[in-house]
This record gives sequence, structure tokens and C-alpha cells, in this order.
Amino acid sequence: MVKKNWREFARNNVVTIMFIVLCAVCMVLSGYTPSYVVYELFGRLSRNAFIVLALIIPIIAGMGINFAITIGAMAAQIACILVIEWGIQGFTSFLAAAALTVPMAALFGFGIGKILNKMKGQEMIGGMILGYFANGLYQLLCLFIFDNIIPINNPDLTITGSTGIANTIDLAKNGMANSLESLWKLPAYQAVLVFAAVIAIILLIGYARSPRKNAKRLGIQIGTLAAVCVIMQIPAVKELFSMVMVPMATFGLVALLCVFNVVIMRTRLGQQFRAVGQSRVVANAAGINVDKVRIIAITISTVLAGWGQLIFVQNLGAFQTYGAADQVGLYAGAAILVGGASVVRATNTQALLGTVLFHLMFILAPAAGKNLLGNAAIGEYFRVFMCYGVIALALVMHAWSSVAPRKKLKGGDKATDKA
Amino acid sequence: MHGINISRKQAIACAALIIAAVIIGAIGLYGLNARQSASGVTLLEEMRLQAILNTAGTGAVDAYVAAEKQAATKAVRAEGGGMKEVREASAKAAEEALARAQELGIGEVALSAIDTKPLASALNTLAEAQTAYFDEEARAQAAYIEAHADEVTVQQDADVADDGEEMSDLEMMEQTVDLSGFTATAEMQALQADVDAAYLALCEEIKLVFPALTDDILTSLKATITGIVAQSGDTFETRYDRAVEASGMQPGANGWIMRNGRTLALSAVGLCILALAVFFYGPLVAKLGVPRLIIGMFFVLLCLMALILDLSLTSQLSNALVRLGMNGVLVLSMLPGIQCGISLNLGMPIGIIGGLIGGLLCIELGMSGMSGFFFAIAVGLVISAVTGYLYGQLLNRLKGDEMSVTTYVGFSIVSLMCIAWLVLPFKSPVMKWPLGDGLRTTIGLQDAYKHVLNNFLSFEVLGITVPTGLLLFFALCCFLVWLFMRSRTGIAVSAAGANPRFAAATGINVNRMRIIGTMLSTMLAAVGIVVYGQSYGFMQLYQAPRQMGFLAASAILLGGASTSRARISHVVIGTFLFQGVLTLSMPVANALIPGSTISETLRILISNGIILYALTKSGGATRG
Repeated sequence: MVKKNWREFARNNVVTIMFIVLCAVCMVLSGYTPSYVVYELFGRLSRNAFIVLALIIPIIAGMGINFAITIGAMAAQIACILVIEWGIQGFTSFLAAAALTVPMAALFGFGIGKILNKMKGQEMIGGMILGYFANGLYQLLCLFIFDNIIPINNPDLTITGSTGIANTIDLAKNGMANSLESLWKLPAYQAVLVFAAVIAIILLIGYARSPRKNAKRLGIQIGTLAAVCVIMQIPAVKELFSMVMVPMATFGLVALLCVFNVVIMRTRLGQQFRAVGQSRVVANAAGINVDKVRIIAITISTVLAGWGQLIFVQNLGAFQTYGAADQVGLYAGAAILVGGASVVRATNTQALLGTVLFHLMFILAPAAGKNLLGNAAIGEYFRVFMCYGVIALALVMHAWSSVAPRKKLKGGDKATDKA
Repeated sequence: MHGINISRKQAIACAALIIAAVIIGAIGLYGLNARQSASGVTLLEEMRLQAILNTAGTGAVDAYVAAEKQAATKAVRAEGGGMKEVREASAKAAEEALARAQELGIGEVALSAIDTKPLASALNTLAEAQTAYFDEEARAQAAYIEAHADEVTVQQDADVADDGEEMSDLEMMEQTVDLSGFTATAEMQALQADVDAAYLALCEEIKLVFPALTDDILTSLKATITGIVAQSGDTFETRYDRAVEASGMQPGANGWIMRNGRTLALSAVGLCILALAVFFYGPLVAKLGVPRLIIGMFFVLLCLMALILDLSLTSQLSNALVRLGMNGVLVLSMLPGIQCGISLNLGMPIGIIGGLIGGLLCIELGMSGMSGFFFAIAVGLVISAVTGYLYGQLLNRLKGDEMSVTTYVGFSIVSLMCIAWLVLPFKSPVMKWPLGDGLRTTIGLQDAYKHVLNNFLSFEVLGITVPTGLLLFFALCCFLVWLFMRSRTGIAVSAAGANPRFAAATGINVNRMRIIGTMLSTMLAAVGIVVYGQSYGFMQLYQAPRQMGFLAASAILLGGASTSRARISHVVIGTFLFQGVLTLSMPVANALIPGSTISETLRILISNGIILYALTKSGGATRG
């Protein structure tokens, strides 16, 4: 029985396990020191975690991985351009861009929802092509409408000698770069204490308000938190995290989004997401307006993706006007799948674990490729291949399980080879 | 014609459009006519004369002022003044001389006041000489480009390799030979002497009008004056614009009509077509669908724009023909996939890679010409038959979910092959990076099979170069597929795609038919990329094959196919329309907004828009 459970677990999480092994091998091959890897990882996590978490709601609502989040990212970039053009400075500019992203991304999300409702069952490919199409419109906007029809007066934004928005937008000049991170930074061992304290308070409030006073569970949870805090204070662990300065505001936002994802599932709307995700026919019969619920799911996801992209670009301090949004959907989708999510099931934990593993690979693969084969480009291509391969594998496995739910997955090995 | 219901609104719009077209067309034709008429010719001639006299007049004033200045300086010097006095006197003299020149009207002359006949004839002689010179120059340069066509190099390698972005094959048509080595031919020099002589004759006439002019000043004015008279690649419009600008005359409504006669006449044609489209809106939409109608109209618009902007429509059309043959087989490879029920085969890059390996082997073994071309195809067919079979097996296990899976399987194979291109042990220096490991991103096929089909039996009709071999090969492929689809197996394949359950009930092995369709699609993709490469002259590795599936899919959809049904005619029409729009949009866009990449944007919009449209049509029906 135990053995069977173990096999079941392995099969369900084949991608995650494969990735853990791969990361371990790459870690050995790369020759990086652990503290450097942890430092890099924290930087990437603070940039990318938010946008990966934005994928959860559409997955639960049965629309698969929302590759159209690239459009939310484009909304954020347009907001950045406008904020710079209006000369807003510092952290205010970040807030202004975030506020400006909402109406744009909501509008785009509504449009995406409308279109995806016309291609039910093909949402993923539809979303991807929608992203490409939107990229064309975005280019049209940035190259031919801005600066030609809508005047842009800030010379930093435009291409010198031609018309249109410049290839790179620098966020350092108006102080948006790192404005969120620099609000409050703590060394890792202190940051853990703060987060643990906040979580403990939330747990206690939950305990006080819950009708069933499950003291044992609370004890275990708080015990775990305390243990983590204590472990972080051990000198060896402290050494490992020595280079990390945790940007509290960014991780605070990520935590808030996790809470939001949990809380919304307990509301009426969340139940409707789940019902529509499980079966549109049944949900429809139960009197749920399926199309509307799907539009809401996509709209929320698009707005969150916009914010995620804002966090991403302000962390980097600059972005490529015409390329930054292209790969957002691909990387985020691959990350969440690596964490063990499927195209019909996803949780916060999977999203966060996936982001960690996926970006660990991103950090390690080029160096590992260079050390193993003497060519960094191989590592580069390998990680691109992993992105696509993971998505392809997840889709193949999902398709198999839905075509033959009872049949034994005979070709599983072959699919693994392909990835 | 029965069955066409025309609403009131439609009729009114149609009538309004036609009336507008007739009026505009009449004005335009009048304008075109006026160009040849006596009054029109005189108008342009007068403006030109005025322009030249203005220029010469400025020169005359300059000469007058300079003379006065010199005199003043000399006078002050003679009195023994210092530098300061000299400068002041000279400035004062210049001011006074300028005022006097204006008062006396030295730089101005009314056309009516002088005998323009000899001037005009001298001017015409100069214009003719210049036109002859420019014609000869264009001919000589064309010959030079022809002779040095092999030197064309593509800006490749470094920048492409970095970001992995695909290089636009649209730029193929824009490759230019470096003209810095071009020197004037003997004929050109002779004609240049004629121009010089004619200019001297004109100068004599001008001197009669402005006695103050010296030879030095006239020599320095030569560039300006000849520039006004004629320039390389001149049309009536450009000549007219220059004359208006330099003469400062207001030619009035008549002149404007003359200037814009061509634009007006072509706009009238456009309006007529629009009126027809409005009139037959119902049946057209029913037959073509909205997107094809929009893109068809867009194509017509582009053709008219090309004519208005005076771009060579014939050369653009021959480009479109080449691109039809170049992309045709790739698009054709979509057909068996759609027919056998795997929908759009966005995993087509799998087949493309087979063809690429074929091409690489051909270079590696040093084969060239036709034999190399067919060798590449043969190798491509073998490899893609194997991969296509495996791919078909995979697709049989995930019926109904093919498109998103195939896309990502295709993508992952392409990126896997990126690693392979780096490590495969090819030796030929044509393919390897000069430094470091791996194959180049873009490999030139000059020594292999570049243009073997394009140049086979190619001929020219009405200025359009017909790439006979290429089109014949495309037609042959179409014919073979058509034949196959009518064979017993082909019909079974179609049946399995159209209604798998019914097909299975009639004893057709649906899985086998799907594999046959997938294999055929993959193999055609391999052939397609070899044909594409021989036309393009380059082979693109790494990320380039990734988007090709989308382009081919959008072309066949544009031709009228759905995600479940396709015909050969869809392939031909779709490819021509898609490529025609792309080829034409580039020069038109560049003429309107120089240096823009709008045609690239357009390609993204059209290709993805059409796939989206097809998806909404296919997915909308299946509810629940």
C-alpha cells in the first residue's frame, strides 16, 4: 500500500522530481558557492514569484495556463512609459504605474476573456497566439502611435533620429528602479523572524475565530515556524544567507497574493471558479454564468500579471520595450508546471516551489553547460529547451490522462525522453 | 444575380462612392491630360524658368554685393584705415549694396519682361541631356549590380546569434550590392559632357538676363540649377514639387490638379473597387469571410499605394511570385495535417529540421546544383518520414488536444536541435563559426543549390520575372498531393479526419490514416524548407524554424481553409495573398515612414490575427 502510494506520488510529480535531480546535478557541475546561488535565487524570486502566482486562478477556472499574461505585462510597460513621460518621480511613480496598470489590464483582460470564450478547450494555444497578436498591436502602439499621433516629449523615451519609443526604457532616471525593494530591506535571519511573527499572528487570529479549536494543528504550525526561525539563527545557515538582503515589501506583496489566492477560493466567486473549472456543463446547469466567471478569472489574472511585470521591471531597473513581455507567459507557465501543477490543478505552494526550482535551473544551467561541455551556449539552449519541454510534457501528460483516465500510462517513459 | 439583397444603406453608400469615384476620376484624368497639353507644359516650363532665374538672381545679388564690398574695402585701404575700419566699411557697403540691389531689382526679373524663348530652349536641352545621362547611369548601375550579384552579403552572425531573434526573410529582396566600386562608364562620361555643354549654353542665356553674374558664381550654382532641372529617378510629380518650391510661384488649382492627377485617378479606381465590395458585400462575406475580405481589400489598397508612390509594381509582383513558390510547399504541408484530423500542424518545425539536416549534409558532402538540391530533399524525406511516424504515434494518443501540444512539442524539438547544431560534427568551413564551436545561424547556399529552381527556365514577361522552375516544382507538389488526396488512401485519410467514428465504422483504420497524414505533412515540410532555402539563398538554423509553422498555418487559413478542411486552392490563394501583402507592404511602408519596421509588425498582426479568427470559428461551436 505504502509502495503504491509512493509510486502514485512519483508519477504525479515526475516533472518536479526530475527538476530537483537536475538542479542537484547542475549545482555540483556549476561550481558556484551555495551562498552565491542563494543570493541569486532570492533576487530572481523577488522578481518572478508574483507573476507566477497570477496564473493560479485561471488554472482553477479550467482555462489552463494563461499564456495571455504577456498582455498584462504589456499593460504594465505602457503604464511605465506614460509615468516616465509625465515626469512622476520615485516611489510615487511605482504607485502611479500600478494604479494605471489596473484599468488597462482589466480592459485587456476583459477582451481576452471574450475571445477565449469563443474558443473553449483551446484556451492555451489561443492565449499564446493572442499574446503574439497583442505583441503586434503593442509594436504598432509604441512605434507608430506614440511619438507620432500621441506626442512624447521626454527625449529619453524616443529613438533618436527616428520615431517611436526607444528600445530600452531606463527606470533609474525617474527613481522607479528598485523603489519597492529599497523601502525596507532586512538580512535573511531577521526577515524570517518578521514573517514568522506575522504568520503566527494570522494563525492565532484564525484559531480564535474558528469554531473548531484545533489546538494540536495550531501547535504544530507555530512549532514549525519557531523551528524555522531557530534554524535560521544557526551560524552555518546564517553564512549561507549572508549575501541576501530580503526586500520585505516585495516578499510582503507575494505573501499577500498567496493569501488573496486562498481567500478568494473561500468566497462565492472562488466556488464558482472551481465549479466552472471542474465542469462547464454542470456549472451551467447549476445556474452559474460560465462565460462571465471565466472573464472574471482572466481579468484578475491579467491585472495581477501587470503588477507582477511592474515588480519585475522595477527590480531590474530597465526593460526592453519590444522584448520584455514576450517570454513572460512561457517562463511563468513553465515555472508553475515545474512546481508540480498541472493544467487543471495549481496551488500557491506549487507555484512558489516551481519558481524556486525553475530559477535555480536558470542560474545553474549555463555554468554547468560550460563546465561540462565547454560551451555556455549549450546551457543557454538547454534551459530554453527545458522551458518548452516542461510545458510540452505537462500538456502531453494531461492529454493522456484525459483521453485515457483509467488506462495505464504506457508511453510515460517516452514522453520523459522527449522533454 | 438573384439572391443578392441590397439594403438601402448599402445602396446609398454604393451610389455615393461611385459618384465620388466618377468626380475624382474625371478631375484626375483631366489633370493627367493637362500634363501633356500646351497650357500644362507652359505652366511647368514657366515655373522652372522662374526657379532658375530666382537662383541665378540670388547669385547675381551676391556678385553685386561682393563687388561693392571689395570696392569699399579697397577705398578704405587706400586711405590707410586699419582692420577695424576695413571691416566696418565692408559691412556698411554690403548692407547698402543689398538695399540698392533690391531697389534696382538686380536679382529679380519678371518673366514677361524678357524674351524667354532662347532661355527655355536652352533649359530644355539641358533637361534632355540630364535625363539621358540619368537613364544611362541607371542602366550602367543595373549592369554593375548584375555583374557583382555574388558579392551580396547578409548582415548576419553576430547580432542574430545574441538574441536568437529570427532574421526577416523579407529583407532578402532588399539586399543591395555595394556601389562604392562603381565608376562612370564611357557612355556616361560622354553624356556628362553633353550636360556640361548644355549648362554652359544656359549660362550664356542667363548672363544676358543678369549681366552682374560672373562665371565663378555660375559654376558654383551648377549643382543647384541642374538639381532643379532634373534628378535621378525623376517623375512628373517630383519635378513639379521642386519647381514650385524653388520658384515660389502659386500654380493655383489647375496646377494642383495636374500635380495630383495620378493620385486622383488611382484613388478613383480604389473607390470603384470599394463600391463594388460594398455592393457585393453579402455574397463576398459569405464566400470569403470577413478576414479574407479585409486582407484582400488591403492587398488592392497596397497595389494602388504602390502605383501612387510610383514604386515599381512589376518588380514587387515578381517578388510576390518568387515568394509564392518559395513558401508554397511549406504551406502545402499544412494540408494533409488538416485533412487527417490533427488540425493545424504547428509541430511542423519537426519536418523542417529534417530538411535542414538534408541541406547541411549536401553542403558537407560538397554537392551542388540540381543534384545537391534533390539529395537534400531525399535526405530530408527519409529523416522526416521517421520523425513524422513517431510524431504521428504521439498525436494518436492525444486526440482532440493536438494544437497546443504540437506547438510546444515543436518548440521543444527546435530548442533541442539548437544544442544539436552546436555539437554536431560538421566540418565544412561554410557552415562553422570561424571561431568557436557549432554551426552558423545563417548558412549561405551559394556553393550548394541557391536559386537552382528560381533560375531554371526563368523568363521575363512585361517586366515580371517568372521563376518557372520554382513555380513548376510547386505545381508538381500540389498536383501530387491532389492526386494522393483522390486516391483510395487519400480519401480514407480525409474520411478519418472528417468523422473518425464513421470512418472507423466503415472499416478504416483511423490511427493509421492519421499517421499517414502526419507523416505526409512532416515530409512536405522537409521538402518545403529545402525549396525555401534555395530561393532565399540561405539556410536558417537555431530559432528560425520555430515560427514557420504559424506563418504556414496563417497562409492556408487566409486562403480559406478551416482548422478541419482544406483544399489545394486554399494553399495557392492563401500563399499568394499573404506573401503579396507582405512583399508590397514593405516598400510602401518604407516610402511612407522611412526606416520603419511596420511590415514586420504587419506580418505579426496578419498571421496571428488570422489564426485567432480560425480558432474562434472552430472552438465557438463546441460548448460545454
